[in-house]
Amino acid sequence: MRLTHFFSAWCLSSAMAWSADTVSFEKDVRPILKAHCFHCHGEDGETKGGLDVRLRRFLEKGGESGPAIVAGKAAESHLLEMITSGEMPKGKPKLPEKDIATIERWIAAGAPTLRPEPEKLGPEHQFTDEERSLWSLQPIARPAIPAIDAGSAHPIDAFIAAKLSEKQLSFSPEADPETLIRRASFDLTGLPPTPEEVESFVAASSADPAAAWQALLDRLLASPAYGERWGRHWLDIAGYADSDGFTEKDPERKYAYKYRDYVVRSMNDDKPFDQFVREQVAGDEIALKLGLHADSPTPAERERYAELLTATGFLRMAPDGTATQNDLLTRHASIAATMKIVGTTLYGLTIACAECHDHRYDPISQADYYRLRAVFDPGFDVKTWRTPPGRLVSLQTKEAKAEAAKIEAEAKKIDDARLVKQAAFIDEVLEKELAKRDASIRDALRTAYKTVAKDRTPEQVKLLKDNPSVNSLSAGSLYLYDTTYKTKHADTLKQMADEAAAVRATKPVEEFVHAFTEVPKAPEAVVASHVLHRGDPESPKDPVGPGELSVLAGSRPVEIAAEDPALPTTGRRLAYAEAITDGSHPLLARVLVNRVWMHHFGKGLVASAADFGVLGEKPSHPELLDWLASQFMARGWSLKDLHRTILSSRTWRQQSRRDPERERIDPDNRLLSRQNVRRLEAETLRDSLLAVSGKLNAAVGGAPVPVMYNEEGQVVIGVDTTDTAGRQTGKFIPLNGEEYRRSVYVQVRRTRPLEMFAAFDAPSMTDPNCEIRPVTTVSPQSLLLMNNTGMREHAQAFATRLIAECGTDPARQAERAWWLSYGRRPAPDDVKAAVEFIQAQTEHYRTHPAKLDRVSGPAEKDNAAPELMGLAALCHALMSANGFLYVD
Amino acid sequence: MHSRRRFLSASYGMGTIALATLMKEQGLLHASPEVAGAPRHFDNLPKPPHSFGKAKAMISMFMQGGPSHMDLFDPKPMLDKYDGKDFPGEVKYDDAAGASREVMASPWKFSKHGESGIEMSELVPHMGSIADDMTLIRSMHTGVNNHGQSIYALINGTILGGRPTLGSWITYGLGSENSDLPAYVALTDPRGLPVLGVDNFSNGWLPSLYQGTVVRSKEPRILNLDAPMSLQGDAQKRYLQFVSRLNDSHLQDRPGETDLDARIQSFELAARMQTAAKEALDLSQESEATKRLYGIDKPETQEFGSRCLIARRLVERGVRFVSLFTGNQTWDHHSSLMTSLPAACKYVDQPAAALVIDLKQRGLLDSTVVHWGGEMGRLPVIQNRAGVKNDRTKVGRDHNTYGFSMWVAGGGFKGGHVHGATDEFGHKAVEGVVNHFDYHATLLHLFGIDANRLSYRRNGLEHKLVENPQARVVSEILA
Repeated sequence: MRLTHFFSAWCLSSAMAWSADTVSFEKDVRPILKAHCFHCHGEDGETKGGLDVRLRRFLEKGGESGPAIVAGKAAESHLLEMITSGEMPKGKPKLPEKDIATIERWIAAGAPTLRPEPEKLGPEHQFTDEERSLWSLQPIARPAIPAIDAGSAHPIDAFIAAKLSEKQLSFSPEADPETLIRRASFDLTGLPPTPEEVESFVAASSADPAAAWQALLDRLLASPAYGERWGRHWLDIAGYADSDGFTEKDPERKYAYKYRDYVVRSMNDDKPFDQFVREQVAGDEIALKLGLHADSPTPAERERYAELLTATGFLRMAPDGTATQNDLLTRHASIAATMKIVGTTLYGLTIACAECHDHRYDPISQADYYRLRAVFDPGFDVKTWRTPPGRLVSLQTKEAKAEAAKIEAEAKKIDDARLVKQAAFIDEVLEKELAKRDASIRDALRTAYKTVAKDRTPEQVKLLKDNPSVNSLSAGSLYLYDTTYKTKHADTLKQMADEAAAVRATKPVEEFVHAFTEVPKAPEAVVASHVLHRGDPESPKDPVGPGELSVLAGSRPVEIAAEDPALPTTGRRLAYAEAITDGSHPLLARVLVNRVWMHHFGKGLVASAADFGVLGEKPSHPELLDWLASQFMARGWSLKDLHRTILSSRTWRQQSRRDPERERIDPDNRLLSRQNVRRLEAETLRDSLLAVSGKLNAAVGGAPVPVMYNEEGQVVIGVDTTDTAGRQTGKFIPLNGEEYRRSVYVQVRRTRPLEMFAAFDAPSMTDPNCEIRPVTTVSPQSLLLMNNTGMREHAQAFATRLIAECGTDPARQAERAWWLSYGRRPAPDDVKAAVEFIQAQTEHYRTHPAKLDRVSGPAEKDNAAPELMGLAALCHALMSANGFLYVD
Repeated sequence: MHSRRRFLSASYGMGTIALATLMKEQGLLHASPEVAGAPRHFDNLPKPPHSFGKAKAMISMFMQGGPSHMDLFDPKPMLDKYDGKDFPGEVKYDDAAGASREVMASPWKFSKHGESGIEMSELVPHMGSIADDMTLIRSMHTGVNNHGQSIYALINGTILGGRPTLGSWITYGLGSENSDLPAYVALTDPRGLPVLGVDNFSNGWLPSLYQGTVVRSKEPRILNLDAPMSLQGDAQKRYLQFVSRLNDSHLQDRPGETDLDARIQSFELAARMQTAAKEALDLSQESEATKRLYGIDKPETQEFGSRCLIARRLVERGVRFVSLFTGNQTWDHHSSLMTSLPAACKYVDQPAAALVIDLKQRGLLDSTVVHWGGEMGRLPVIQNRAGVKNDRTKVGRDHNTYGFSMWVAGGGFKGGHVHGATDEFGHKAVEGVVNHFDYHATLLHLFGIDANRLSYRRNGLEHKLVENPQARVVSEILA
């Protein structure tokens, strides 16, 4: 049965190829009507004017205005009249002329259908065979590798070469070793190679290129920087942020960083990607299944428990305004954003478009959307919603909890003793004060003082007012009387308070995870899932159970069990995670390998990396995509293995230079007869500046590096010391090297993107995730490179490094600067020009002394040496030039 | 290849740069066709509208908080009649806690202004003086009764965030006439950003090129515009020359790599902006008479007056869209209407009127839309949050998005014209209702833009500013 369906789809698509001039309802007309007319005429029980347009015979029958079409007579067809006049679609732009022409041609041809129409439109007729035949929904094949001349060709090259030769194109020559190591270093680690790495690779390459290349890949893939680079790619599409977003308040997510660390670590460990996906979707349920919990006996088990819970942070990355605005709409907005993230990461489809109605183009029904949502509904539990602080999971063990309670009790003892002492001190001072007063009022004054303020009689109030030094005696003012009576009461009390604080400080720190969990409930108490009419949370319609996209039903099971009796939770996510990673899902592996390809070439084999649907791009090399996907799964879903495969190909190792012939035949380089020149991403740019200036702090993981507004209103790295009214206090808290951490560790506050990140197209995660980064070229970027104080700081640090490493000879400095910035030797002309430039700038600073620049903190007091500033000018120019910003 | 060095040094002599060369800026970027989901390239080159449009630029003065229309622009004798009595119908409140049914007459006098005789209150005498140049719309409606949603409605056409604002759409459609300055500028208030913060000038999902560039209320008015102390004058000039040398030789080895060329040109624009933007923001070039016109000589109008004058200078230089904002909730008078509203008016009345007068005397008003208004008006009844009985100096008025006023002038709007009306209490728009989407459709029409064709493809769908099928061009207010 499955096979038949699969083959019929193939036959249809090949049939379409050679009979392009015949029009049919299913292939040509229905998609137009579905996109523009179904909403009011057929979908969801809606038939405005009594007209349903979902079948040809419905059109012939027509509605209140009579038949919509008269087969063979376009001129007499009401439908054509309505769309030609623009009266329909009502209130929407007129249909494109070519669509109108298609419909006209179809009616004129007698309104043919490809096959008899169904008796009635049940769910099984939701999609036509044409819709089911969407390329990305077909099972992943294992295509044969094309045979090309060179017998030992790399499989990737064989697929690429086959297409190139069809267009009389061929591969470009291999890039030189300096280019290759720079490209590979940025691709795999997001950092430039050091001069020493370049030199040793160039030398090794001339001896044994293949061995040198393998050794280079080994080194780069083993570097912790690899996980930071590739973790960042995943964080883009997962929508990672350290704040809730949604509202202007944008509260911080204190523990989200653990998810970031989990991702980075998983990449570095080369965790099989299927497992990586399962943990993120259902880590909590995996932990339940394994019987892991916060009190598991061994540290390894507790660590694994924490890891599994942390992984589910994936489902809690979406913006969520419910910490400050906990209403139904805001809850649903967060769920919808999560669904979008699930749809784009795991399916590469715009499933989110089916929230309010059937997908206009892809075979995804609105019910499909809510079936998929039902997998997650018990965890979200929109009825008994947990707000962001309320859903943090504590990792504290029972033992630690008991320990903390014990310590608290000890501290409390000290507190109690302090209060007793404090009362005694107050009494003592009170008596001394009373002693100074006339005996006749002493008792009355004492009573007045000891009476609770609200119970005092007017006379008592007056008496106290007349004796201010009694009236104002309190725990807070005791220190004032110490001077009068030469006592040390305040000090004694403070010592005791410090002592209690010191005891409290020994409590074990309670750690939390930002996780997605499900509160176990009896099956009948689990929140029910419904299709929401037009997406409105207040209008639930038919109940739905958990399931996958129904269009896949022909090739695989799509039902997800609503209950797993073996688990206290519903187990839906675990069942779902296992289903999509079972190795036969048509989308997941394709979407993943395509994203990896995109990061190695600047563009995916499917250019629309998050839309594998009807409106997305078709793959440029469908067989290669399938070969990569099947190979990826066959090799244990290993990302590192996939990198090796791709980076060992001639396709990847080509030079990037354009030439007129290639430009003429394939201007967009879809066929890959060369590599693409790519701009550094925002984070890579900043990391490169740090690496080259020698400041990079390579520490891995941990709480995010804070960001703040500086006095110029720029978002920079630093501890926010504004007061509660948001005013600058001028207070500066040094970060002691934290400010030089890699960019992946800089706090992602949705409303406060670091200036350099925002300028260079890093996502701010409000959308809610980032599928493909835009690449803009705008002058604020150039202003930043030119004038930003941070750039000056980087340049001055770079110059300081150069002087330390190679002394004061400008020619040596320039040569080393080139090596560090561009990974190659400068031309003699360049050195000459650089030396002249350094000297001219140095002369300038002799007559115009300047200080080193500081982004934050106290300004420099003394002028810097003119030689340093002159050299810094060269560094600044090298760091802001295109050679720095682009990779060949 | 043209010589960049010559080009660069030209940037130090203002205004001598050949426009044709400038046009190349980012025009080269426009080479690649739009591919769904793939990175696309965009530019701010001037683009012809779909049809002739009178408006070439727009200045929007956004009065966030909701100015009380029945105290400024929409006189209601019925309120005098009912003053102190119960409102005879249903009131749509936002803040139930302070709600009352007690009608409050406007404490301020209205009088007729200009030949058109438009009635405005004594709180805005300068605006009265430009009555014959404005269309006063008394029937605005968004119907969403809180600040955030109603702001979104007016700035991006929906009640949700994350979408491009009006200025982004217009610059996306038409580009800019000046390639030395940003196409879309936001002039923010020193007292803080309005509600929704930077969303007020966000590009949403349009490329960042279409984001409003913030010209701050204090120096530095544009971030990174000034060379740091250690890189001024000749030091920067030599730096730019050296970068240019590096980039030229880099490009020579990579012929046809258009992104590299575009980046070189964006660097040159940045260099030019240093002088062009500084020049545009330099008010010392204005005469004393002009400064007085805007009230820059008086402490209460100095700040807003300066920003209005900057707005005129930007538009004069070809900037497409300028937004001016007042501070957070400046006009949200839930209480102390008696004292707060006059203060808020004083801050903007003279400068806002001066902007229209000045644009007109320079022949720029015909091609520049000027807008003044907030996201809502107020209710005809008392809101008594403080709980002070019978003390009219402490009470205020609650939100009202069902009917409120704003004015527009120039760019093809009628002068001396009143459009629409609210009911006799000023609660709801009843005649000639102008919804936010009608307003947008009308604006785009004035710019010669077909609202159905100004679209952006995203996630496989064509997105537009005006997506409500009921939107209409309000032709009654067009000159």
